[in-house]
Amino acid sequence: MSKLTTGSFSIEDLESVQITINNIVGAAKEAAEEKAKELGPMGPTPFPGLETYRDDWNFKLLDRYEPVVTPMCDQCCYCTYGPCDLSNNKRGACGIDMLGHNGREFFLRVITGTACHAAHGRHLLDHLIEIFGEDLPLNLGLSDVLTPNITITTGQRPKTLGEIKPAMEYVEEQLTQLLATVHAGQESAEIDYDSKALFSGSLDHVGMEISDIVQIAALDFPRADPEAPLVEMGIGTIDKNKPFLCVIGHNVGGVTYMMDYMEEHELTDKVELGGLCCTAIDLTRYKEADRRPPYAKVVGSMAKELKIIRSGMPDVIVVDEQCVRGDIVPEAQKLKIPVIASNAKIMYGLPNRTDADVNETIEELKSGAIPGAVILDYDKLGEISVRLAQEMHPIREAAGVREIPSDEQLKAWVDKCADCGSCYLACPIELDIPEAMKFAKQGDFSYLENLHDSCIGCRRCEQVCKKEIPILSVIEKASQKIIAEEKGWMRAGRGQVFDAEIRSEGLNLVMGTTPGIIAIIGCPNYSDCAKGVYYIAEEFLKRNYIVVGTGCGSMDMGMYKDENGQTLYERFPGGFQSGGLSNIGSCVSNAHITGAAQKVAGIFGGRTMDGNLAEIADYVLNRVGACGLAWGAFSQKASSIGTGCNIYGIPAVLGAHSSKYRRALIAKNYDESKWKVYDARNGEEMAIPPAPEFLLTTAETWQEAVPMMAKACIRPSDNNLGRSIKLTHWMELHEKYIGGLPEDWWKFVRNEADLPLAKRADLLKKLEEEHGWEIDWKRKKIISGPKIKFDVSAQPTNLKRLCKEA
Amino acid sequence: MVDTTKNTKLFTSYGVTSSKAVNPDMVAKIISKAKRPLLVVGSGVLKPELLDRAVKIAQKANIPIAATGHSHIGFLDKAVDAKYINLHQLGFYLTDPNWPGLDGKGNYDTIILLEFKKYYINQVLSGTKNFSKVKAISIGRDYIQNATMSFGNISREDHYAALDELINAL
Ligand code: SF4
Ligand code: SF4
Ligand code: SF4
Repeated sequence: MSKLTTGSFSIEDLESVQITINNIVGAAKEAAEEKAKELGPMGPTPFPGLETYRDDWNFKLLDRYEPVVTPMCDQCCYCTYGPCDLSNNKRGACGIDMLGHNGREFFLRVITGTACHAAHGRHLLDHLIEIFGEDLPLNLGLSDVLTPNITITTGQRPKTLGEIKPAMEYVEEQLTQLLATVHAGQESAEIDYDSKALFSGSLDHVGMEISDIVQIAALDFPRADPEAPLVEMGIGTIDKNKPFLCVIGHNVGGVTYMMDYMEEHELTDKVELGGLCCTAIDLTRYKEADRRPPYAKVVGSMAKELKIIRSGMPDVIVVDEQCVRGDIVPEAQKLKIPVIASNAKIMYGLPNRTDADVNETIEELKSGAIPGAVILDYDKLGEISVRLAQEMHPIREAAGVREIPSDEQLKAWVDKCADCGSCYLACPIELDIPEAMKFAKQGDFSYLENLHDSCIGCRRCEQVCKKEIPILSVIEKASQKIIAEEKGWMRAGRGQVFDAEIRSEGLNLVMGTTPGIIAIIGCPNYSDCAKGVYYIAEEFLKRNYIVVGTGCGSMDMGMYKDENGQTLYERFPGGFQSGGLSNIGSCVSNAHITGAAQKVAGIFGGRTMDGNLAEIADYVLNRVGACGLAWGAFSQKASSIGTGCNIYGIPAVLGAHSSKYRRALIAKNYDESKWKVYDARNGEEMAIPPAPEFLLTTAETWQEAVPMMAKACIRPSDNNLGRSIKLTHWMELHEKYIGGLPEDWWKFVRNEADLPLAKRADLLKKLEEEHGWEIDWKRKKIISGPKIKFDVSAQPTNLKRLCKEA
Repeated sequence: MVDTTKNTKLFTSYGVTSSKAVNPDMVAKIISKAKRPLLVVGSGVLKPELLDRAVKIAQKANIPIAATGHSHIGFLDKAVDAKYINLHQLGFYLTDPNWPGLDGKGNYDTIILLEFKKYYINQVLSGTKNFSKVKAISIGRDYIQNATMSFGNISREDHYAALDELINAL
């Protein structure tokens, strides 16, 4: 029996009693801290608290990247003093001002997202420990640095499931502390809310890392596999002749039992299993090595949830957690689709049949006596969902609810439209529905068809239509043909980037010869077309950037084909390499994207990772050209993922809708005092170009996002070759999408070798004529002019303490 | 004359309705009175009907253009002073009295906005509304509540007509 580390109790006069204590609150962390003392070099901030990163790192970031506050509304409705009018930065009755309140609002988004991933991690960790035991090793593929986010944050290097527990406990503790600050009369300074948000972002990547590594280790997901198999994707891939079991959400726990049941009963080719959102990605990863190619299908992103239900195809829907629509039960009921809630986080008010007899539950659901049920026992879930899908299929077929509406019905709906324009006003994507209806009345349905790709399936149009036209169904019916052809390919999520890949690309990234890492992540609330992510990915892949993706972004990248009928996943290799496209995995796999940048700092930069966030982040900000794109970010989790990237010095571009997060982090490119760092060799200040110009901002169109991201990959320490490669791409992309030379290109030039080779002479002339720089034309050299000096061995840092003289 | 002040239904129900509905004549007057006006156009301007009108407004009023999104590409061969800037960045810089502006001559007192997604421009303007003195006038076809003044929700045809009236009045 292990020794008791905390607490006290006394027992008298007991005989033959065995006491088993599974866990003592706080003990795991204390034991871990004890163990950590024996470990190698440790940075200054293991197990940080709310204040730990504030002065040494967060405020440095927030000084350059100032919080840009764009309130959602002018009021605060938090407490019973109010509602208070905060317009023009007024203070409310409790004393908080508009800035502080909005800082709180954004912060609340971030901690909500963090909690989602952490809670998901806790659920999986407990579940998998129960089945596989604490000693299951974390076999994640070819990596020494298994858990970069956990290691940087806590100083721990867990090797087994059980050893993850301290990090899990720690995240939960800090989240409680963070949540407390939202209460009225707590934190009121905007800047401190932003510092806390950044801290929460770092915790989010720990929670995500835990979620993904435990499932990779225990459920045999691909282990850092660049050759992860291709998976069929899209509504068009579902075989309508088979019973269709449709799963929605983020937590793969329950789905594995359905897959096991299907295998045991030889049903894998008799029942269609497909999903939406991250559960879909993860079910294609389950026991992947034994199953290639996976038989499970990915229907698509969250935007397809209502669309797939309205299509009538699913015979049973199983939901777990996160990104699951709130109206699935009433929508499904209209088409006699039973809904099973399999996770205590979403129970939909349904009766709990966890302890009921399986046969009785199936009968109840089949008869329609109940619209759905909560089933939290995974063994039962596996059996009921698969059996029920088979039984519902003929019943629903006979009831005629497995097909979308008839042509006559469509015509009747279209004819009802009164052209009032209410739907246009309500549609978040601002789709011109009235115009499309007008053409449809004349028999031209192509306008309606065109709406399908951009429509996020939110139903806001239907809510305001006084003629009660089911507008979403109209759009989907009119798009029947293209939907049937909606088929793509995506790689099953590969998991981490392994160390050898980092070693071979690290130098190129630090030097800038591989121009950057482009991470395409996040949800489907796109402001223009969904195809934007495809165009962006293709542009960067063709230019030899490393492109990685996760979640719905990964799916949508695979939905489109080139003129040869090939998707991006078929055209480009799956490795973390120049010109490679990796699907890292589901949303929680985002931790491996920060993880890759962190590993560059740790492995390649030789920085201590353990308990050392500021130094790792400082390295990434100054040396690793990475930029995220969350083109359709809508969820709270997207805000916490992005904020986690930001604290690690990785900028992110979001779509226009994400301005509704109420805040951005943008630097003043014209304020020279913001563009200085130290040279770690001697502690002297050195001027740097204004790059990256932002940590978090939005773009209006995908065409604008492309050059913005190329520019954001420029880093202070690029060498000449790297700088000229990065400038070449940025300037070409600017020319292509925005037109002309960017106004500020010259600010990035330190000497002639930085200039793109093909245009060097032209650009030297411009420098002379337009900016008054002195050029030695014989040697084609810049003699004077640049504000930024450069020396290849300079070591830019924002941390004075890292300087030799300090 | 098009009445651009009639339909001021909000596309979203939150916040305070602070935008005053204006007609083209009034907009022309405000532009002529402004010390440092800036025409801010979004990528929606790339439709020929709108691009021509934006060019005419800039030329007749003799004001520079901040071309956001990828709208700049439309102005390359036009005789106007158009510079690219990201809208979110512009919104932030407008709240800084020390911003040298797009031409190095200082910040702007009046911005005139055309062809944005309404939710995007409205959100960016919530920053300038609360944290700056800049006057924002929306001349798009949607009523923008966080602008200082705005056209109401009007049809595409009425919008073109209203822009023509504005051009004539300049
Ligand atoms: S369902 Fe589609 S068309 Fe309707 S409001 Fe939502 S996005 Fe617009
Ligand atoms: S709200 Fe309904 S009636 Fe009005 S334009 Fe839209 S579809 Fe037609
Ligand atoms: S990317 Fe966004 S919408 Fe998609 S599953 Fe993840 S959080 Fe949900």
